[in-house]
Amino acid sequence: MATKCLIKKVKVIDGPSKYHNKVVDILILDSRIAEIKAGISPASPIKTIQGEDLHVSISWLDIGTQVGEPGLEHREDWTTVSKAAKAGGYGAIAPFPNTQPSIQHKADIQYIKQRAKSQGIGVYPIASLSIDNQGAEISEMYDLYTAGAAAFSDGLKSVSHAGLLARALEYVKPFEGLIIHYPSEKYLTQDAQMHEGEMSTLLGMKGMPSTAEAIGLKRDLELLAYTQSRMCVYGLSSLEAVKILKEAKKNLAEKLTAAVPYLNLVYTDKEMERFDTHLKVMPPLRKKSDQNELIKALKDGVVDAIVSNHYPIEEEGKKLEFPYAKFGASGIETCFAACNTFVPALDLETLVDKLSYGPRSILGLTSEGIKAGSAATLTLFDPSAEWVFDESQSRSGNNPFLGKTLRGKVIDVLN
Amino acid sequence: MTSTSQLSTKHLLGIKQITREDILTIFKAAADFKEVINRPIKKVPSLRDVTVVNLFFENSTRTRISFELAERRLSADVLNFTASSSSVSKGETLLDTVNNILAMKVDMVVMRHPAPGAHVFLSNHIDANIINAGDGTHEHPTQALLDAFSMTEAIGPLEGKNILIVGDILHSRVALSNILCLKKLGANVAVCGPPTLIPKHMDSLGVKVMYNILEALQWCDVANILRIQLERQDIKYIPSLREYALYYGVNKALLDKVGRPIVIMHPGPINRGVEISSDVADSEHSIILDQVENGVAIRMAVLYLLAGKK
Repeated sequence: MATKCLIKKVKVIDGPSKYHNKVVDILILDSRIAEIKAGISPASPIKTIQGEDLHVSISWLDIGTQVGEPGLEHREDWTTVSKAAKAGGYGAIAPFPNTQPSIQHKADIQYIKQRAKSQGIGVYPIASLSIDNQGAEISEMYDLYTAGAAAFSDGLKSVSHAGLLARALEYVKPFEGLIIHYPSEKYLTQDAQMHEGEMSTLLGMKGMPSTAEAIGLKRDLELLAYTQSRMCVYGLSSLEAVKILKEAKKNLAEKLTAAVPYLNLVYTDKEMERFDTHLKVMPPLRKKSDQNELIKALKDGVVDAIVSNHYPIEEEGKKLEFPYAKFGASGIETCFAACNTFVPALDLETLVDKLSYGPRSILGLTSEGIKAGSAATLTLFDPSAEWVFDESQSRSGNNPFLGKTLRGKVIDVLN
Repeated sequence: MTSTSQLSTKHLLGIKQITREDILTIFKAAADFKEVINRPIKKVPSLRDVTVVNLFFENSTRTRISFELAERRLSADVLNFTASSSSVSKGETLLDTVNNILAMKVDMVVMRHPAPGAHVFLSNHIDANIINAGDGTHEHPTQALLDAFSMTEAIGPLEGKNILIVGDILHSRVALSNILCLKKLGANVAVCGPPTLIPKHMDSLGVKVMYNILEALQWCDVANILRIQLERQDIKYIPSLREYALYYGVNKALLDKVGRPIVIMHPGPINRGVEISSDVADSEHSIILDQVENGVAIRMAVLYLLAGKK
């Protein structure tokens, strides 16, 4: 955090800004951008940030981060997730409510806000859609909204009860609440371990067919059209679902958004040949054709954001035989760098947009962008720096990129 | 024992991880060992001072006995471990269990485990040679090797031959290992059974999928008939065993319609009257008991070729 500093020779990546793609100096005073131009000479000595290939964008925002506090602090707490998020370039997170107990009371929202504030990270709490995330009864959503809940979700627990999801969508309409939902048909995915395809056949494992996501999504979109509420499709992973989403967006543009987990852009199910439990994730890693369609959908604007799908799991939950290992991968530190390294089809401008403006648009937030006078909530990064991800800030080490060389390093996050 | 060829791997985790040359090397050694076990003195000193543990986390009778016999015929020191009588039932992890056993200076691990990939997981963490005796619905490589070896004995080289696998393909580790092994040996492979018992993407492995048992039998040179694994079926994939026997069971009336002899195989245990009728299982074209005998020879070959390999 810096209330006063000078960023020297930095390339601005900010589509809507007049400084986009320009190399400038940025003077920050009292946590606001005081001046932007080439060759600023401060009147008095000031902390200076400079680097080889320094870039800046508005700060990044992650939706759906799993934190672990309260109840699962052995996986992650607010101290460790904040460090990990900042290392990954995030100025704020919108954490899922799947803690123990889950985030479902006004006091829980206040607690999260306090914990985030103490760690210097922005927060947009997502409250439970259903009580205890059990998918049976809706939570006190109005009260949670009043307390500051930015959205409602049961995280990666897909709501199978259509009536409940319909009621949740209806209930939030008076305050224009947002439902974030992971589409999946449970009777097609029970006991499944990975994507259903050639690789699951070869590994002898029960698979989750793409059609489970497509059926779930079709139902959700019918309910959205019926209720005319607001929904974000979280965890999009298949070609079929992208096609359905694209069609639906024609009629529901203002009400419908979508986010894709970065691991689905980087890896396919082919990587699971060695039964690596770090790649056992939900949604599952699918085929190359799915991956290509997801990337295209990001570029075309059908998908709004890239999320880290950060899901820390203790070593005891991962260092196991594959079917016994838990789902989830830690990813908030490597989302940008892994995409920058392994997804060349995604240009830097699109990537940064999907980490910054995209998540904001899902939550209905606006940004002043990079201009004189606006808040200095910025992410500084070097897209060409190569580094070895050898130490995680997260409490859990279940990041598939640990020990790997990545290109693109976060230099600082200003909040 | 004259074979001096080497395998390309220090473990037998699955057929997927070995080459065609490895398979042929194992066959050659197995042929030698088959000759040995038919001598009056059946024991050779090849694995003297080698300690092998048979770790069975799932019930098994014939595979465990076959491995144990193979180990004893090679003069290995043998330890037997079953999950029900161990600390696994007290919550110990696989890795802790195996590391505790290896601390007692065990050289080779023969393991059966209900989780697909358990052997691959183990190979990432321990040094001992690992032989997969079945991992869930994934692989059962020694069964595939003994099946292919038995087929070769019956009909010669498998290149271009039509091999049919009938039954519960979805829950069968034998089917997957057989398919991989037979494809590596150049055979044409088809599977036949109710669609709910055949993995949806089976054709992606280069396998012909058939649903009519008579047409499938007419197509093949060898039919390997698998058991319906009711114990692995968490939900009902077929309405009844009666209906299965009626539409997919292999019986003499069906074989008479084919009109030419087909080699009949079954990895056991047999459910007589369900997937195979007694008059087929006991017929002159059945090589089911040859499979059992070859099982010992194949396992001796695998143990011998992997022992001490770094």
